[in-house]
Amino acid sequence: MSPALILQVAIGGILMGLLYAVVAAGLTLIFGLMNVVNFAHGALLMAAMYATWLIHRSTGLDPLLQLPLVAALLFGTGVAIYRVLIARTLQIRVNGAMVQIFTTFGLSIFLVGLAQLVFGSDFQSINASFLGGRTLAFGAVVLPLPLVASGVVSLLVFLALFRLSRTEFGRALEATREDFEAVALIGVDRDRIFGIGWGIGAAAVGIAGVLLANFYYISPDVGTNFALIAYVAVALGGFGSILGALIAGLVIGLTEALTALVVDPSLKQIGIFLIYLAVLMFRPRGLFGKL
Amino acid sequence: MKRIKRRTVLTAVGASVGVGFARRARAVEEVKIGAVFPLSGNAAAIGQDARHALETMAEIINGRHNIPMLLGEGGGLSGLGGAKVKLLFADSQNNPQIARSAAERFITQDGVVAVIGSYTSATAVTISQICNRYQIPYISADNSSPSLNRQGLEWFFRPSPTDIDFTKAMFDFFAAIGEKTGEKVQSIAIIHENSVFGSDSAKLQARMAEAAGIKVLANISYQANIPSLSVEAERLRAADADVVMPSSYTSDAILLMRAMHDAGYKPRAIMAQDAGFIDPAFIAAVGPLAEGLLSRSAFAIDAVKQRPAIPAVNALFRNSGANKDLNDLTARELTALQVLGDALNRAKSTNNMALRAALRATDIPGNQTIMPWAGVKFDETGQNIKGNPVILQYQKGQWRAVFPFEIATAAADWHIKR
Amino acid sequence: MVERAGRALLSRRRRELLLGAVVLALLAALPLGVSGAYLRGLIVLALLYAGLSQAWNILGGYCGQISLGHALYFGIGAYTSALLFTRAGLSPFIGMFAGGLLSGLSAFLVGIPCFRLSGHYYAIATIVIGMMAALLASNWDFINAAQGITIPFHGEAWRNLQFRTAVLPFHYVMLVYAALMWLIAWVIEGSRWGFYWRAVKDDVTAARSLGVSIYPSKLAAAAISGAATGIGGALYAQYVGFIDPESAFDLSLSVLIALPAVVGGIGTLWGPLLGAAVLIPVQQLSVAWFGSAAGGIDLMVYGALIMVLALSRPEGLVSFFHGRARQEAVDHG
Repeated sequence: MSPALILQVAIGGILMGLLYAVVAAGLTLIFGLMNVVNFAHGALLMAAMYATWLIHRSTGLDPLLQLPLVAALLFGTGVAIYRVLIARTLQIRVNGAMVQIFTTFGLSIFLVGLAQLVFGSDFQSINASFLGGRTLAFGAVVLPLPLVASGVVSLLVFLALFRLSRTEFGRALEATREDFEAVALIGVDRDRIFGIGWGIGAAAVGIAGVLLANFYYISPDVGTNFALIAYVAVALGGFGSILGALIAGLVIGLTEALTALVVDPSLKQIGIFLIYLAVLMFRPRGLFGKL
Repeated sequence: MKRIKRRTVLTAVGASVGVGFARRARAVEEVKIGAVFPLSGNAAAIGQDARHALETMAEIINGRHNIPMLLGEGGGLSGLGGAKVKLLFADSQNNPQIARSAAERFITQDGVVAVIGSYTSATAVTISQICNRYQIPYISADNSSPSLNRQGLEWFFRPSPTDIDFTKAMFDFFAAIGEKTGEKVQSIAIIHENSVFGSDSAKLQARMAEAAGIKVLANISYQANIPSLSVEAERLRAADADVVMPSSYTSDAILLMRAMHDAGYKPRAIMAQDAGFIDPAFIAAVGPLAEGLLSRSAFAIDAVKQRPAIPAVNALFRNSGANKDLNDLTARELTALQVLGDALNRAKSTNNMALRAALRATDIPGNQTIMPWAGVKFDETGQNIKGNPVILQYQKGQWRAVFPFEIATAAADWHIKR
Repeated sequence: MVERAGRALLSRRRRELLLGAVVLALLAALPLGVSGAYLRGLIVLALLYAGLSQAWNILGGYCGQISLGHALYFGIGAYTSALLFTRAGLSPFIGMFAGGLLSGLSAFLVGIPCFRLSGHYYAIATIVIGMMAALLASNWDFINAAQGITIPFHGEAWRNLQFRTAVLPFHYVMLVYAALMWLIAWVIEGSRWGFYWRAVKDDVTAARSLGVSIYPSKLAAAAISGAATGIGGALYAQYVGFIDPESAFDLSLSVLIALPAVVGGIGTLWGPLLGAAVLIPVQQLSVAWFGSAAGGIDLMVYGALIMVLALSRPEGLVSFFHGRARQEAVDHG
């Protein structure tokens, strides 16, 4: 095994890890805000990928240019999901957590079925994008351009999320999470804050969907391929922690790639799972979790 | 649409004339056949195509046509007084338990004369077992796992070749093309998903490579539907074998081809175990990267000289809602119903024993089908012994048959010299 | 006062038992009113899931540990029994206990590290352990890896738990399984353990101050729940005749095991049975009715049903029957 090969694989793993981190960021944001695990997160990713594909097919707009558009679209979807479903679950006093898990789980099945009905079950893909198929060479290390671009965009997303937490709105989010009954007294509209929180979470996964559509195939079930990794990343980083999602995504991407290099690749997820379990033995609330 | 309406009217008239008449008329009118495929879930695309393929063959049998093959004239099943074939579909969701109860429902509630299925071998196991218990034939249309006809079942029939035949055809091709061009295959790299299909295929390839004195430089298994296959592609590049032999479904086939391209690796030859690599969605996704790709197949769409029925059947298939050309899987599914229709004709009855006897006596010459096979004739395990596969190559945007040479429609593009 | 409450509880428990006997008798007579192997098969499956979900309920409901990895115990039970039957010729009646024992042991072992985690961390950890098992199973050649195990038909016999086309024997086998699970839950509800677990679930600090040793009681719940799930897995293997890593270890199976209890009423005696009676027919029939049409509608119906039930009946379907269940649940929560 040459050093160049190891370097190549490691960098590829880190770039993939950044993408996992963005998917996880949306999940952890929603969790941090209102203690809800969104089991429809994979379905939202799938929806974003189909949206990108559909816009590309009907207008020819390059996926990269669609970033703001699809992010806005998913923001709206997130707000709608909150208004129609999640706001209701918050009023439930008994079994609230179970109701949330299984409402979002039902939503996920529903959305997958809807995608199959509307788009059919054939695998779709975007193969004429600006980035698609191009590579970038740094000496012996050759990197696919879509992956490099997605790494850069992912970092920007995290930068934005970190800044957001320092704004007035971010503090309102934080306060609402800590004690939403108290903030109601000082005139903060809980549903508005939570709705926007869901919107931002969905927008993050929307961005991940656009980036993935650049090089990944699209099918009704595609979300499940990434959802499990996102849950593990969130638990590893700590529920509610944005920084945790970033670090966990990177750890997972790197572990996955290096495991695939040394053992049979069909076992590469075992590497991720073992690291996750090992960390949880020492830090039961993940790397940066407070909840 | 028009046909359905006419039949509804007929039945309604029958019912108004008298119940006895209606019942007898229906008994002659249609023969029910159950089809179990994954119509939703990850393999849904294949199940939906299978549905169009079977509907196309039912249309050929039931309608009026002039297609130069067995049952190609239509007019219903002549042996049963012109009875129409009626297909019932069920979604297995690719789940063995759901497949099993779908088959049981078809047999006990709908009174089907036979069951056709089922794409994945896990579902084929439970369907064939339940059919065996109820003594109803199971026609395996597109399952290629060799273990299926070794279960010792009395009601199992498979017109299409198995993975053993398919893999052997690949190595026969390597030997023949090496002889012809002087560029002999000395090493291969195997990459396969860790499912039954993938691991069986890889085991056979490794065994046959050893027997042929070909080195296996890498044997990589991966988990299906994984987010990335780039490390796998790097390992293939590092192995740098003469031929890369992948066994993958559509999703991973797309990912693997793109990952090899992104790694700057262009294998000198790729010999695919069919599946995802012949899916039109794969070709659409990878575009020019598919050029030169080799795959085994049970079907050669361009062998029209030897199989004149292909253009007409393909046109009907395209118009059935499939909107794509016949491929290896859909052609096999279609042919399975043709074989069953022929047996029903000869059985002259829907009785299960008569039907099994007729299936066992099946002997269809290859040119009466759309398949490039020598024919259809079952051995005692219900396996067709005349179903020889072909090797296809994707050349200038089309799949061409390149082996066996006697039915080839194009010369293989073969350059593996370093 | 305390005495009167105790007497009321006793009489309520006696009433539950009586109701249980009546329901058992009705379910035993059910096949008389249902014709056709398919519908009978549907009931067999619903009974199996009622039992499985009750087994899950012991840990997830009564003890409050939401496991989404029960497919692991199901798979171990199914594989143990299937391997003993196909390789050693042992009757599934022996295999299901061997499988149950192994499953219970693994649930105990999984519990040792995992019960240090709380809430969602525990749920995700069980998912991950389940997925690891699925991956390892599909790479382990000794158990036929991805190929799975086909259980050949050795002729109609109770000893083999195999019947050519008769569905009735399996109806009674699954009914006995579901009834036993119900009975275990009933016993637990009235036992000191049940009291501890309710205490653990409702208020950890209070339970600790009561002197309840939380950790061992959780482990006990896990072992019983795992063993019971393993027995269900063994029954499934013998009923369907084929198992592979995808059908015996998958995450979707873990959810399917938990779902009836959640929809029916988590931590209740009747929830799993009610949930299974609604969900399994809907799932199977929506496949049968809509599955042949344009794909996707069956999934939409199933998904919508789960959403509607979860939102409209947060305490589960049992709340339709007992006005009291709602009040009690509120008191606990």
